[in-house]
Amino acid sequence: MSIDWWSLGLQTINVAILVWLLGRFFWRPVAAMIAERRETAEATLKAAADRQAEDKAALADIEKTRAGFAAERDAILAAAQDQAETASKARLAEEASAATARASAASAAIAKDRRDAENSWSLSAATLATAMAGRLATRLDGAAVRAAFLEWLLQGIRAQPEAMRLAAAAEASLEATTATALDAAEQDRCRAAIGEALGGHPDITFTVDAALIAGIELRGRHLEVGNSWRADLARIGKELAHGA
Amino acid sequence: MISPLSSVVLFHLGPVPISEGVVVTWGIMAMLVLASVLLTRRLSLRPSPTQAFLELVVEAVDSQIRDTMRVEPGPYRAFIGTLFLFIFVANWTSLVPGVDPPTAHLETDAALALLVFLAVIWFGVRAGGMRGYFASFASPTIFMVPLNIVESVTRSFSMMVRLFGNVMSGVFVVGIVLSLAGLLVPIPLMALDLLTGAVQAYIFAVLAMVFIAGVVEDAKPSADDPERKSP
Repeated sequence: MSIDWWSLGLQTINVAILVWLLGRFFWRPVAAMIAERRETAEATLKAAADRQAEDKAALADIEKTRAGFAAERDAILAAAQDQAETASKARLAEEASAATARASAASAAIAKDRRDAENSWSLSAATLATAMAGRLATRLDGAAVRAAFLEWLLQGIRAQPEAMRLAAAAEASLEATTATALDAAEQDRCRAAIGEALGGHPDITFTVDAALIAGIELRGRHLEVGNSWRADLARIGKELAHGA
Repeated sequence: MISPLSSVVLFHLGPVPISEGVVVTWGIMAMLVLASVLLTRRLSLRPSPTQAFLELVVEAVDSQIRDTMRVEPGPYRAFIGTLFLFIFVANWTSLVPGVDPPTAHLETDAALALLVFLAVIWFGVRAGGMRGYFASFASPTIFMVPLNIVESVTRSFSMMVRLFGNVMSGVFVVGIVLSLAGLLVPIPLMALDLLTGAVQAYIFAVLAMVFIAGVVEDAKPSADDPERKSP
């Protein structure tokens, strides 16, 4: 076995040249392409990451806007609710006031109706009492009744102030009204008694008014003395009305 | 049968004898360079299946360099990758009838080992300068200088003998079996020879990376030695 030094040298040169050629035409272009593709991929990934970051920021903005919408909606709802509550309270107050007014009006109407009814019944009762008193008066002794009423008239005159009695006595004419007609003797007797009570001799004119039921009344410009059942019934009716 | 230990001279260029191994090497070179030119003409950002395969090869070489040498593969890719590709293709030329692998001849293996020896010096000087390279012989101590000098020669010699022995023995065995048993019997041995050829190409490339990485690491200026600057 021997070594061919020429072959050794040629093979060394051959492999060295092959190293250079493959480095020039294979390893370097492919490695450069790998690096370029890697840079492109990294750039693409970076762009995607940037886009993702932008999308996240946009999403955050959207979420923020949504939160603003929600807050605004809550505020609007709260304002609407407050407004509705205020309107409801006002409406309730109005309705309550109106109801109170209607109740007051109804109470007043009821009271008025009651008063009217009471007045009507009082009037009816007075009319009935007058009628009953009139009928009862027809059964009484006319002379005795007239004497009693004359006596009450005289007491009423005497109860008047003296100045009023003197003024009445000085009048030219007084009117004496009776329920039934008096004969001349009775008129003279009444005239004398009244003149004595007044302290003078006034001219007295006698008239008849059946509405008096019973009694004798005296009227003048300065004096008026009511002395009849009609006046008594009217006074009693007023007293009952005030008492009710 | 011609002894695989002998080199057959096919013709002479002047005084220079051109052996069969050299001619086959030229053929391999032409095929590899032509294929490289043709395949790398249309590289694009959207790789074709062929481009993807080429990138896979380059990425595999880069990955091996990173894992073995712990450096960036750029300066070493062409040398290591070409060593692997050439030895791989050369070993597999035994599939071509009538062609002996160039690596089955001692001159080719010696040339490859010589290139590794020179590459170790080149990358060592490149990493640490002349002073750094020669200082690497004193690693880890000054007393290791003689042993490291002997080792730098003997490890290249061992690479040569390992590749030559494995490839030559395969060719030798296949030749013997073929001469004794006929046509189909050597096929399993030929398949085994292909596997051996691929493994030997890988081993040769890995050993070259280990030797270069060792001298590059030792030749690099350390932090506590400010006088040694990288070139």
